Amino acid sequence: MKIRILKPGLLSTIQDMGRRHFLSQGVPLSGAMDSLSARIANKAVGNDDDQAVIEFTYADAAFKAETDLLIAYAGDGMRLQAGAQILPPERPVFVPAGNVIQLIHNSGGVHTYLAVAGGWDIPVILGSRSTCLTASFGGFKGRALQAEDILSSNGQPGDMSAGIFGRLKNDHVNFAKWSINRQRLLPPNRKLIRIIPGREAGWFNDQSIADFLSAPYQLSRNSNRMGFHLAGPEIIRIKKVELISTAVTPGTIQVTGNGRMILLMADCQTTGGYPRIAQVALVDLPLCGQLKPGDTIYFKEISRREAERLDLQAEADLSRLTTALKSIFL
Amino acid sequence: MKSLLRTDLKLPVYSLSEQAVTIEFGREIDRNLLELITVFDKFLIQNPFPGFVTSVPAYTTLSVFFDPARVIQSDELPGRDCFEKVSGYLSQLYKKRESATFAPGSTVAIPVCYDPELGPDIVEVAKIHNISVDTLIRLHSDAEYIVHMIGFMPGFAYLGGMNDLLTTPRKSIPRNAVPAGAVGIAGRQTGIYPLQTPGGWQIIGQTPVKLFDVNRAQPSLLKAGDRVIFRPVSRLEFNQLTGEE
Repeated sequence: MKIRILKPGLLSTIQDMGRRHFLSQGVPLSGAMDSLSARIANKAVGNDDDQAVIEFTYADAAFKAETDLLIAYAGDGMRLQAGAQILPPERPVFVPAGNVIQLIHNSGGVHTYLAVAGGWDIPVILGSRSTCLTASFGGFKGRALQAEDILSSNGQPGDMSAGIFGRLKNDHVNFAKWSINRQRLLPPNRKLIRIIPGREAGWFNDQSIADFLSAPYQLSRNSNRMGFHLAGPEIIRIKKVELISTAVTPGTIQVTGNGRMILLMADCQTTGGYPRIAQVALVDLPLCGQLKPGDTIYFKEISRREAERLDLQAEADLSRLTTALKSIFL
Repeated sequence: MKSLLRTDLKLPVYSLSEQAVTIEFGREIDRNLLELITVFDKFLIQNPFPGFVTSVPAYTTLSVFFDPARVIQSDELPGRDCFEKVSGYLSQLYKKRESATFAPGSTVAIPVCYDPELGPDIVEVAKIHNISVDTLIRLHSDAEYIVHMIGFMPGFAYLGGMNDLLTTPRKSIPRNAVPAGAVGIAGRQTGIYPLQTPGGWQIIGQTPVKLFDVNRAQPSLLKAGDRVIFRPVSRLEFNQLTGEE
């Protein structure tokens, strides 16, 4: 299967679940900003969760099916259309060769993930197919996608993908009636981000902690895949010693010297020297991945054990989903 | 909390995220601490627990990343949750660290050309310290440096051991692009830019060696615990070495 990028959109990169084994060499984790949507898109075409997907940023992109395709997409901010026909998300879609698919802006959110049966054929570099924009390697030639780029799927799709393909193949656009309900896997309040107090949470005054856990914070313009700058009440330090640089990870919320918070995201540095007020619960990080400048969020404290329980619960739900799909298509 | 170099109490571990814990070995930058962290890191990599993913050494800490779904399923790790299971394992391993075989870090000689064309701030920095450029080169290249950690960007080494006489503030206006291999000074630190990037360090030279190269099995030339020596080279040698890279 093969596509040609006609319009790349603002920032379209190849991502997977990230480059986990080279953090000690300063290599950022990378990976999908909204990992849940990326996994859903992969599952819907019968792939493993860690296959490469295309991460689109905002809409206004287009690609052409150079061959028959079995694709799926999930995320927020856009819908896919073949001409006037809307392709529904979160399920496998068969697209005959020759169709042009457009990504049309439709609602809040930023990122949509496009999976193809078998996964996109991208070389694994340092254990991952994700694009490392900082050092220009990985993904598609170490860079964001451009017009006329050709992407192919891996030659041998798995048995699941083949099973789904067999049921949907047709002479027109065709899609499954079932879907993976992403809403049901997301927390009900998408603007309330749950956090665990960070190692240096005690370095700030009580007022600041009260503000942090009650006031609205808005994403500033200078927010990107590395991190989000948050505008809101100032966070005031009472402990003035300098933090000695140590490991940070996506979801870490740092407080800079001028009392502003930065929420670190997928492409963040591996180490940092700003005090950490909080760590976003892993289960809410995909929600953060869909935030854009101007969005307002609130933070709510939960315990470390609760965060761990929620994460394990979410993983169990996702693996039950895989089992269910296997029982149908294998 | 006292340094573990002096006491042998329970390992101080805190939760970094649902997928990582951080061991805090001390509170101050110190070569003995670096050695302890480096040895324990190697020991852990040789003796991983079920679900171990990777570890990240830093100045005073070692962060340990894991896969929670695998850790929680592991019966051989006691504890009610992932944090207890992993920190319990690390504490047990720490008690056995005496059996770790200690191979000292490598010593890496890095050729540096201090030609003002490649080190555009070298004359200015010498002037700030009221020394000659030759003296500056000698002070910078006589020292043996030690890699405390890699971070900030791929392959960037935080080096300890610069002569205090060379302490120099950052440039007031950062450059839009500093080339890969640029050797700089910022405050009490010296370092090498592995990639082209904007930066405010005082650039005193350049190395033809690649600090980060994805085509190598270990893409970062340096790792925590390594020793580094800067070897001054002429412009001619720099050009020859650049050709070889």
